Amino acid sequence: MEIIHKRLNRVDMLKVVGRLDAMHAPQFKQEIERLFEQGRYRLVLDFSQLEYVASPGLRVLIESRKRARDWKITDLEGGDVRIAALPSRIREVFDLTGFTSLFEIFPDTTEAVGSF
Amino acid sequence: MDSIIVPAALESLGRISDFVLDAAARVGLEEHAAWQVQLAVDEAATNIIQHGYEPDTPGEIEISWRVDGVQFAITLHDHGRFFDPKDVPMPDIHAPLAERQAGGLGIFLMGRLMDEVRFECDAKRGNFLTMTKRIGPAVGPARIFPLTGRLDAVGTGAALAQVQAALSTGARNILLDMAGVTFMSSSGLRALLLVRKELIARDGQLRLCELQPQVYEVFTITGFTQIFSIHRTRDDALAAFVQST
Repeated sequence: MEIIHKRLNRVDMLKVVGRLDAMHAPQFKQEIERLFEQGRYRLVLDFSQLEYVASPGLRVLIESRKRARDWKITDLEGGDVRIAALPSRIREVFDLTGFTSLFEIFPDTTEAVGSF
Repeated sequence: MDSIIVPAALESLGRISDFVLDAAARVGLEEHAAWQVQLAVDEAATNIIQHGYEPDTPGEIEISWRVDGVQFAITLHDHGRFFDPKDVPMPDIHAPLAERQAGGLGIFLMGRLMDEVRFECDAKRGNFLTMTKRIGPAVGPARIFPLTGRLDAVGTGAALAQVQAALSTGARNILLDMAGVTFMSSSGLRALLLVRKELIARDGQLRLCELQPQVYEVFTITGFTQIFSIHRTRDDALAAFVQST
Protein backbone atom coordinates (compact mmCIF):
# COMPACT_ATOMS: atom_id res chain seq x y z
CA MET A 1 0.00 0.00 0.00
CA GLU A 2 1.12 3.52 -0.73
CA ILE A 3 -0.32 6.77 0.59
CA ILE A 4 0.18 9.97 -1.35
CA HIS A 5 -0.43 13.17 0.57
CA LYS A 6 -1.35 16.43 -1.08
CA ARG A 7 -1.88 19.60 0.93
CA LEU A 8 -4.40 22.04 -0.46
CA ASN A 9 -5.40 25.34 1.03
CA ARG A 10 -8.05 24.25 3.54
CA VAL A 11 -8.12 20.54 2.87
CA ASP A 12 -5.65 17.66 2.93
CA MET A 13 -5.98 14.87 0.42
CA LEU A 14 -4.75 11.32 0.96
CA LYS A 15 -4.68 8.98 -1.99
CA VAL A 16 -4.56 5.36 -0.93
CA VAL A 17 -3.07 2.99 -3.48
CA GLY A 18 -3.18 -0.81 -3.16
CA ARG A 19 -4.39 -3.01 -0.31
CA LEU A 20 -5.83 -1.60 2.89
CA ASP A 21 -5.77 -4.75 5.04
CA ALA A 22 -4.72 -5.49 8.64
CA MET A 23 -1.07 -5.27 7.60
CA HIS A 24 -1.40 -1.75 6.23
CA ALA A 25 -4.19 -0.25 8.37
CA PRO A 26 -1.74 1.00 11.08
CA GLN A 27 0.22 3.02 8.52
CA PHE A 28 -3.03 4.51 7.19
CA LYS A 29 -4.08 5.40 10.72
CA GLN A 30 -0.69 7.00 11.46
CA GLU A 31 -0.88 9.12 8.35
CA ILE A 32 -4.31 10.46 9.33
CA GLU A 33 -3.30 11.07 12.94
CA ARG A 34 -0.23 12.99 11.82
CA LEU A 35 -2.55 15.42 10.04
CA PHE A 36 -4.89 15.66 13.04
CA GLU A 37 -1.91 16.51 15.25
CA GLN A 38 -1.11 19.40 12.91
CA GLY A 39 -4.65 20.67 13.37
CA ARG A 40 -5.65 19.50 9.89
CA TYR A 41 -9.11 17.99 10.28
CA ARG A 42 -10.53 18.43 6.79
CA LEU A 43 -9.59 15.33 4.87
CA VAL A 44 -10.49 13.93 1.49
CA LEU A 45 -9.61 10.28 0.95
CA ASP A 46 -9.05 9.50 -2.71
CA PHE A 47 -9.92 5.81 -3.11
CA SER A 48 -9.73 5.71 -6.91
CA GLN A 49 -6.69 3.40 -6.75
CA LEU A 50 -7.70 1.43 -3.66
CA GLU A 51 -7.75 -2.22 -4.67
CA TYR A 52 -8.93 -3.86 -1.51
CA VAL A 53 -10.29 -2.99 1.90
CA ALA A 54 -10.77 -5.25 4.95
CA SER A 55 -12.30 -4.55 8.36
CA PRO A 56 -9.15 -3.10 10.02
CA GLY A 57 -9.19 -0.39 7.35
CA LEU A 58 -12.90 0.20 7.90
CA ARG A 59 -12.22 0.59 11.58
CA VAL A 60 -9.71 3.38 10.94
CA LEU A 61 -12.29 5.14 8.77
CA ILE A 62 -14.95 5.17 11.50
CA GLU A 63 -12.54 6.28 14.22
CA SER A 64 -11.07 9.01 12.02
CA ARG A 65 -14.40 10.47 10.98
CA LYS A 66 -15.54 10.54 14.61
CA ARG A 67 -12.40 12.45 15.63
CA ALA A 68 -12.53 14.87 12.72
CA ARG A 69 -16.18 15.71 13.38
CA ASP A 70 -15.36 16.51 17.01
CA TRP A 71 -13.25 19.41 15.79
CA LYS A 72 -15.45 22.46 15.23
CA ILE A 73 -14.76 26.10 14.39
CA THR A 74 -18.41 27.07 14.52
CA ASP A 75 -21.56 25.00 14.62
CA LEU A 76 -21.57 25.04 10.84
CA GLU A 77 -17.91 24.66 10.10
CA GLY A 78 -15.52 22.00 11.25
CA GLY A 79 -13.62 18.87 10.42
CA ASP A 80 -14.68 15.85 8.44
CA VAL A 81 -13.34 12.84 6.58
CA ARG A 82 -14.95 12.60 3.14
CA ILE A 83 -14.45 9.99 0.51
CA ALA A 84 -13.94 10.34 -3.23
CA ALA A 85 -14.01 7.92 -6.18
CA LEU A 86 -15.07 4.57 -4.70
CA PRO A 87 -14.26 1.60 -6.96
CA SER A 88 -17.16 -0.87 -7.27
CA ARG A 89 -15.68 -3.60 -5.05
CA ILE A 90 -14.97 -1.11 -2.29
CA ARG A 91 -18.49 0.27 -2.65
CA GLU A 92 -19.82 -3.25 -2.22
CA VAL A 93 -18.01 -3.56 1.12
CA PHE A 94 -19.40 -0.14 2.07
CA ASP A 95 -22.92 -1.32 1.19
CA LEU A 96 -22.59 -4.56 3.15
CA THR A 97 -21.34 -2.83 6.27
CA GLY A 98 -23.64 0.21 6.20
CA PHE A 99 -20.72 2.55 5.46
CA THR A 100 -22.50 4.03 2.44
CA SER A 101 -24.82 5.94 4.73
CA LEU A 102 -22.10 6.58 7.33
CA PHE A 103 -19.88 8.69 5.06
CA GLU A 104 -20.22 11.48 2.56
CA ILE A 105 -19.08 9.97 -0.70
CA PHE A 106 -18.30 11.95 -3.85
CA PRO A 107 -17.77 10.81 -7.43
CA ASP A 108 -14.37 12.53 -7.68
CA THR A 109 -11.84 14.49 -5.63
CA THR A 110 -12.83 17.86 -7.11
CA GLU A 111 -16.34 17.55 -5.76
CA ALA A 112 -15.13 16.19 -2.44
CA VAL A 113 -12.69 19.07 -1.94
CA GLY A 114 -15.30 21.58 -3.08
CA SER A 115 -17.77 20.28 -0.51
CA PHE A 116 -15.74 21.72 2.39
CA MET B 1 -7.40 -30.14 -2.49
CA ASP B 2 -4.32 -28.16 -1.63
CA SER B 3 -2.89 -26.45 1.43
CA ILE B 4 -0.27 -24.03 2.72
CA ILE B 5 1.16 -23.34 6.14
CA VAL B 6 2.15 -19.77 6.89
CA PRO B 7 3.41 -17.97 10.01
CA ALA B 8 0.54 -16.34 11.92
CA ALA B 9 1.79 -12.84 11.11
CA LEU B 10 0.23 -9.93 9.26
CA GLU B 11 3.02 -10.23 6.67
CA SER B 12 1.38 -13.51 5.59
CA LEU B 13 -1.91 -11.92 4.54
CA GLY B 14 -0.72 -11.15 1.01
CA ARG B 15 0.41 -14.74 0.50
CA ILE B 16 -2.86 -16.08 1.89
CA SER B 17 -4.82 -13.90 -0.54
CA ASP B 18 -2.76 -15.16 -3.48
CA PHE B 19 -3.32 -18.76 -2.37
CA VAL B 20 -7.10 -18.24 -2.13
CA LEU B 21 -7.34 -16.54 -5.53
CA ASP B 22 -5.33 -19.32 -7.12
CA ALA B 23 -7.60 -21.97 -5.57
CA ALA B 24 -10.73 -20.07 -6.64
CA ALA B 25 -9.49 -19.90 -10.22
CA ARG B 26 -8.73 -23.63 -10.25
CA VAL B 27 -12.21 -24.64 -9.07
CA GLY B 28 -13.94 -22.23 -11.44
CA LEU B 29 -15.40 -19.72 -9.00
CA GLU B 30 -16.36 -16.63 -10.95
CA GLU B 31 -14.43 -13.45 -10.22
CA HIS B 32 -16.95 -11.86 -7.89
CA ALA B 33 -17.32 -14.97 -5.75
CA ALA B 34 -13.54 -15.37 -5.70
CA TRP B 35 -13.18 -11.85 -4.34
CA GLN B 36 -15.79 -12.59 -1.65
CA VAL B 37 -13.90 -15.71 -0.54
CA GLN B 38 -10.61 -13.80 -0.59
CA LEU B 39 -12.00 -11.11 1.73
CA ALA B 40 -13.68 -13.61 4.07
CA VAL B 41 -10.47 -15.63 4.44
CA ASP B 42 -8.46 -12.44 4.95
CA GLU B 43 -10.80 -11.45 7.81
CA ALA B 44 -10.60 -14.93 9.34
CA ALA B 45 -6.79 -15.02 9.16
CA THR B 46 -6.56 -11.51 10.63
CA ASN B 47 -8.64 -12.65 13.61
CA ILE B 48 -6.36 -15.61 14.23
CA ILE B 49 -3.21 -13.50 13.90
CA GLN B 50 -4.45 -10.65 16.10
CA HIS B 51 -6.51 -12.51 18.70
CA GLY B 52 -5.65 -16.21 18.52
CA TYR B 53 -1.94 -16.15 19.21
CA GLU B 54 -0.13 -14.12 21.84
CA PRO B 55 2.24 -11.58 20.24
CA ASP B 56 5.31 -13.14 21.90
CA THR B 57 4.45 -16.74 21.02
CA PRO B 58 3.62 -16.70 17.34
CA GLY B 59 2.34 -19.86 15.67
CA GLU B 60 1.19 -21.00 12.31
CA ILE B 61 -1.99 -21.13 10.25
CA GLU B 62 -2.72 -23.94 7.86
CA ILE B 63 -5.12 -23.11 5.06
CA SER B 64 -6.60 -25.83 2.92
CA TRP B 65 -9.42 -26.12 0.43
CA ARG B 66 -11.52 -28.82 -1.14
CA VAL B 67 -14.51 -29.16 -3.39
CA ASP B 68 -17.49 -30.97 -1.99
CA GLY B 69 -20.12 -31.39 -4.70
CA VAL B 70 -20.93 -27.82 -5.71
CA GLN B 71 -19.44 -26.35 -2.55
CA PHE B 72 -15.99 -24.81 -2.38
CA ALA B 73 -14.85 -25.27 1.22
CA ILE B 74 -11.85 -23.51 2.73
CA THR B 75 -10.52 -24.31 6.20
CA LEU B 76 -8.22 -22.33 8.47
CA HIS B 77 -6.53 -24.45 11.12
CA ASP B 78 -4.56 -23.01 14.03
CA HIS B 79 -3.44 -23.78 17.57
CA GLY B 80 -4.09 -20.40 19.14
CA ARG B 81 -6.75 -19.42 21.62
CA PHE B 82 -10.19 -20.59 20.49
CA PHE B 83 -12.14 -17.79 18.98
CA ASP B 84 -15.79 -18.04 19.93
CA PRO B 85 -17.92 -15.98 17.55
CA LYS B 86 -20.58 -15.73 20.26
CA ASP B 87 -18.22 -13.41 22.17
CA VAL B 88 -18.35 -10.85 19.39
CA PRO B 89 -21.42 -8.61 19.37
CA MET B 90 -22.93 -8.17 15.93
CA PRO B 91 -22.39 -4.59 14.75
CA ASP B 92 -25.51 -2.52 14.20
CA ILE B 93 -24.88 -1.45 10.64
CA HIS B 94 -27.78 0.99 10.74
CA ALA B 95 -26.46 2.95 13.74
CA PRO B 96 -25.52 6.60 13.16
CA LEU B 97 -21.83 7.53 13.32
CA ALA B 98 -21.82 8.69 16.95
CA GLU B 99 -23.18 5.35 18.17
CA ARG B 100 -21.43 3.20 15.64
CA GLN B 101 -18.93 0.72 17.11
CA ALA B 102 -15.71 0.34 15.15
CA GLY B 103 -15.21 -3.38 15.84
CA GLY B 104 -16.92 -6.65 14.98
CA LEU B 105 -17.01 -6.02 11.25
CA GLY B 106 -14.62 -8.83 10.33
CA ILE B 107 -16.80 -11.67 11.55
CA PHE B 108 -19.88 -9.89 10.26
CA LEU B 109 -18.38 -9.70 6.78
CA MET B 110 -17.43 -13.38 6.84
CA GLY B 111 -21.08 -14.26 7.43
CA ARG B 112 -22.30 -11.99 4.68
CA LEU B 113 -19.72 -13.01 2.08
CA MET B 114 -19.87 -16.79 2.53
CA ASP B 115 -22.76 -19.24 2.44
CA GLU B 116 -21.68 -20.96 5.64
CA VAL B 117 -19.17 -20.24 8.41
CA ARG B 118 -18.43 -22.94 10.97
CA PHE B 119 -16.11 -22.77 14.00
CA GLU B 120 -14.89 -25.97 15.66
CA CYS B 121 -12.51 -26.40 18.56
CA ASP B 122 -10.71 -29.63 19.37
CA ALA B 123 -8.56 -29.72 22.51
CA LYS B 124 -5.94 -31.89 20.80
CA ARG B 125 -6.04 -30.91 17.16
CA GLY B 126 -6.67 -27.16 17.50
CA ASN B 127 -9.19 -24.79 15.94
CA PHE B 128 -10.86 -25.26 12.60
CA LEU B 129 -12.77 -22.54 10.83
CA THR B 130 -14.48 -23.76 7.68
CA MET B 131 -16.27 -21.50 5.23
CA THR B 132 -18.12 -22.60 2.14
CA LYS B 133 -19.14 -20.93 -1.08
CA ARG B 134 -21.33 -22.34 -3.76
CA ILE B 135 -19.72 -22.82 -7.16
CA GLY B 136 -21.81 -22.29 -10.22
CA PRO B 137 -24.95 -20.62 -11.42
CA ALA B 138 -27.01 -18.10 -9.52
CA VAL B 139 -29.61 -19.15 -6.97
CA GLY B 140 -33.17 -19.02 -8.22
CA PRO B 141 -35.82 -16.73 -6.79
CA ALA B 142 -36.61 -17.00 -3.10
CA ARG B 143 -40.04 -17.89 -1.76
CA ILE B 144 -41.23 -15.77 1.15
CA PHE B 145 -43.27 -17.20 4.03
CA PRO B 146 -44.65 -14.90 6.73
CA LEU B 147 -44.82 -16.84 10.01
CA THR B 148 -47.15 -16.00 12.87
CA GLY B 149 -47.80 -17.02 16.45
CA ARG B 150 -45.67 -19.03 18.83
CA LEU B 151 -42.92 -21.28 17.53
CA ASP B 152 -43.01 -23.74 20.42
CA ALA B 153 -43.78 -27.43 20.84
CA VAL B 154 -47.46 -26.75 20.12
CA GLY B 155 -47.42 -24.02 17.47
CA THR B 156 -44.40 -24.85 15.29
CA GLY B 157 -46.07 -27.58 13.23
CA ALA B 158 -48.92 -25.36 12.07
CA ALA B 159 -46.70 -22.31 11.56
CA LEU B 160 -44.31 -24.22 9.31
CA ALA B 161 -46.95 -26.26 7.43
CA GLN B 162 -46.65 -24.24 4.25
CA VAL B 163 -42.86 -24.26 4.44
CA GLN B 164 -42.89 -28.05 4.72
CA ALA B 165 -45.21 -28.23 1.72
CA ALA B 166 -42.82 -26.05 -0.28
CA LEU B 167 -39.89 -28.25 0.77
CA SER B 168 -41.67 -31.36 -0.44
CA THR B 169 -42.18 -29.77 -3.84
CA GLY B 170 -38.51 -28.92 -4.21
CA ALA B 171 -38.21 -25.28 -3.05
CA ARG B 172 -34.55 -24.24 -2.76
CA ASN B 173 -34.49 -20.71 -1.44
CA ILE B 174 -36.75 -19.77 1.41
CA LEU B 175 -37.14 -16.53 3.31
CA LEU B 176 -39.05 -16.65 6.59
CA ASP B 177 -40.54 -13.31 7.58
CA MET B 178 -40.72 -13.63 11.37
CA ALA B 179 -42.48 -10.30 12.08
CA GLY B 180 -45.56 -12.12 13.43
CA VAL B 181 -43.66 -14.58 15.62
CA THR B 182 -44.02 -13.63 19.28
CA PHE B 183 -42.25 -16.52 20.97
CA MET B 184 -39.64 -19.07 20.10
CA SER B 185 -38.68 -22.21 22.02
CA SER B 186 -36.07 -24.89 21.44
CA SER B 187 -38.67 -26.89 19.48
CA GLY B 188 -39.03 -23.96 17.10
CA LEU B 189 -35.26 -23.62 16.73
CA ARG B 190 -34.94 -27.33 16.04
CA ALA B 191 -37.59 -27.17 13.34
CA LEU B 192 -35.83 -24.23 11.66
CA LEU B 193 -32.51 -26.08 11.82
CA LEU B 194 -34.08 -29.03 10.00
CA VAL B 195 -35.47 -26.75 7.29
CA ARG B 196 -32.05 -25.17 6.89
CA LYS B 197 -30.32 -28.54 6.71
CA GLU B 198 -32.70 -29.74 4.06
CA LEU B 199 -32.23 -26.62 1.93
CA ILE B 200 -28.45 -26.74 2.17
CA ALA B 201 -28.52 -30.38 1.08
CA ARG B 202 -30.17 -29.25 -2.15
CA ASP B 203 -27.82 -26.24 -2.57
CA GLY B 204 -30.48 -23.83 -1.40
CA GLN B 205 -30.54 -21.22 1.33
CA LEU B 206 -32.69 -20.35 4.32
CA ARG B 207 -32.81 -16.76 5.47
CA LEU B 208 -34.78 -15.09 8.25
CA CYS B 209 -35.89 -11.48 8.61
CA GLU B 210 -37.91 -9.08 10.77
CA LEU B 211 -37.29 -10.87 14.07
CA GLN B 212 -38.94 -9.35 17.13
CA PRO B 213 -36.38 -8.48 19.85
CA GLN B 214 -37.43 -11.26 22.23
CA VAL B 215 -37.19 -13.81 19.41
CA TYR B 216 -33.83 -12.48 18.23
CA GLU B 217 -32.61 -12.84 21.82
CA VAL B 218 -33.26 -16.58 21.69
CA PHE B 219 -30.96 -16.78 18.67
CA THR B 220 -28.30 -14.68 20.42
CA ILE B 221 -28.33 -16.68 23.65
CA THR B 222 -28.04 -19.98 21.83
CA GLY B 223 -25.35 -18.69 19.46
CA PHE B 224 -27.61 -19.44 16.49
CA THR B 225 -27.09 -15.95 15.08
CA GLN B 226 -23.88 -17.45 13.67
CA ILE B 227 -25.70 -20.38 12.08
CA PHE B 228 -28.76 -18.71 10.58
CA SER B 229 -28.63 -15.92 8.06
CA ILE B 230 -30.64 -13.24 9.84
CA HIS B 231 -31.58 -9.98 8.18
CA ARG B 232 -33.31 -6.87 9.34
CA THR B 233 -35.77 -6.38 6.49
CA ARG B 234 -37.18 -8.41 3.62
CA ASP B 235 -35.25 -6.27 1.18
CA ASP B 236 -31.96 -6.92 2.96
CA ALA B 237 -32.66 -10.65 2.90
CA LEU B 238 -33.68 -10.74 -0.75
CA ALA B 239 -30.57 -8.79 -1.70
CA ALA B 240 -28.46 -11.34 0.17
CA PHE B 241 -29.92 -14.21 -1.88
CA VAL B 242 -28.58 -12.43 -4.94
CA GLN B 243 -25.25 -11.36 -3.46
CA SER B 244 -24.28 -14.79 -2.23
CA THR B 245 -24.28 -16.27 -5.70
